[in-house]
Amino acid sequence: MGVPDRPVTRHAGGVSAETLVLVLVVATALGFDFTNGFHDTGNAMATSIATGALKPRIAVALSAVMNLVGAFLSVAVALTVTNAVVKTFSAATTDPSTGTVTPAHLTMSGDALLMIVLGGLIGGIVWNLLTWLLGLPSSSSHALFGGLIGAAITANGWNGVNWVGDGTKLDGVVGKVLLPAVASPIVAALVAGLATWIIFKIIGGIAHRTSEEGFRWGQVGTASLVSLAHGTNDAQKTMGVITLALIATGHWSADATTIPFWVKLSCALAIALGTYLGGWRIIRTLGKGLVEIESPQGMAAEASSAAVILASSHLGFALSTTHVATGSILGTGLGKPGAEVRWGVAGRMVIGWLLTLPAAAVVGGVMWGIGDLLGNTAGAIVEFVILIGLAGYIFSRSRANAVGAHNVNDDWSGMPAASAPAAELTTGGVA
Amino acid sequence: MSNGSAFVKDLHFAGTAIWQVLVASVVLGAGLPVIFALGVRSLAWGTGNETGGGEGGAARPGNPMGKVLAVVLFAVVLYVLALGIYYIVVAGHGKELDFNGIWPSQVAKS
Repeated sequence: MGVPDRPVTRHAGGVSAETLVLVLVVATALGFDFTNGFHDTGNAMATSIATGALKPRIAVALSAVMNLVGAFLSVAVALTVTNAVVKTFSAATTDPSTGTVTPAHLTMSGDALLMIVLGGLIGGIVWNLLTWLLGLPSSSSHALFGGLIGAAITANGWNGVNWVGDGTKLDGVVGKVLLPAVASPIVAALVAGLATWIIFKIIGGIAHRTSEEGFRWGQVGTASLVSLAHGTNDAQKTMGVITLALIATGHWSADATTIPFWVKLSCALAIALGTYLGGWRIIRTLGKGLVEIESPQGMAAEASSAAVILASSHLGFALSTTHVATGSILGTGLGKPGAEVRWGVAGRMVIGWLLTLPAAAVVGGVMWGIGDLLGNTAGAIVEFVILIGLAGYIFSRSRANAVGAHNVNDDWSGMPAASAPAAELTTGGVA
Repeated sequence: MSNGSAFVKDLHFAGTAIWQVLVASVVLGAGLPVIFALGVRSLAWGTGNETGGGEGGAARPGNPMGKVLAVVLFAVVLYVLALGIYYIVVAGHGKELDFNGIWPSQVAKS
């Protein structure tokens, strides 16, 4: 059954109006990619920064380079990324004879799709920024998916969302978002915990300094692998979204393996710049807040993350780097006898994860509603202005208790935020 | 109701995938740091930096065998890391690695 096309009649008409919306969608997508970068730096580098294996600035620079390289490595494009949660494509994704994707394969008109994508991206960015302000690691892909779901529900009703797929493969909100979100942190925690437990058995008899120095090398190697995998996976998603927008508006027609070079370049740069910016608040929570870690635990965590991410992508199991990394770090705390796990911090993260989809969905839905109310062109401009305003507000709030390379490793209990207005939110009463 | 059965199938697919991911991750994700730990331990043995064994931390002469063993173990870790990078590159080009023996080859994605 197909989703009925919803004719959008109130758009300003003409090519230039649609082009303006397209430009805003591309700009917002790159903005999302940027937040994706700094939101996820900690997934790879928090452990290396916390143990001193790498200086903070060196760590984010290394991660940025690995993300940049990773983004360029991805030749196959995740064109169908939105299809995981929104019924974007009708039965066939590509033309069997030519292998190209054209607007004819979409379930809705190009401008309707643009407005859903725009709402979804804004929902994703707002949630990413809010969780960053609170120092909460949360999945950027879930934020994007949540935004898209909200926009799709308001646009096309409950049936516009791909809830469970068609039963031929793991698909839909359940198969690609919910089940992996539950399973992947548990798997990662088990693996990292097991590795940590065995490691400390093995190195039990040697000097602490010797093991710390040795394992720093292992940490850097495995953390780089996680960054590289992140670059290929996550930059690809934004490339897919932008390319989809170009196809929907008839600006690009291609098979699933070619995208405009400028799309690849801009996405790679956006995610790398975001990564280099650091996302220090989240790095701090992951590296210092959840568990106090030593180098062997850091290596166990990153090796576990890399293995789970690569094994999953090999088996077509969609997951979030953030959930895996958090699970791994938690697991290293469980695996080391006597290590303290701050369950309050872990609990706040889980609450954040549970809220990600609905919260981003509300923002995405409201954004789509604004577009519906004002017409596509005016709506898109207003949505973009609202996004800029919210981002500016969140950024100014963050200055009150700034976290950066200088204080990212401070004692968790002596949080620099202790006296700031947002302290209660930032530490959740843990500090 | 087709939605219901698709949901059940999703659960089934997820169960299979999670099981496979867990096995592969235990082998690679736990195996790699454990081999590295053995390497660190061997190196400590080779350089005489072991402090345990009830000898009160007295320095012992290193055993060259430890150094050799450490090099071999670290080489295995490097090989697995290189495989990981190779896998990412190949997957980025829409292909997969076929682990037919120890030396992988690229195959089209199934």
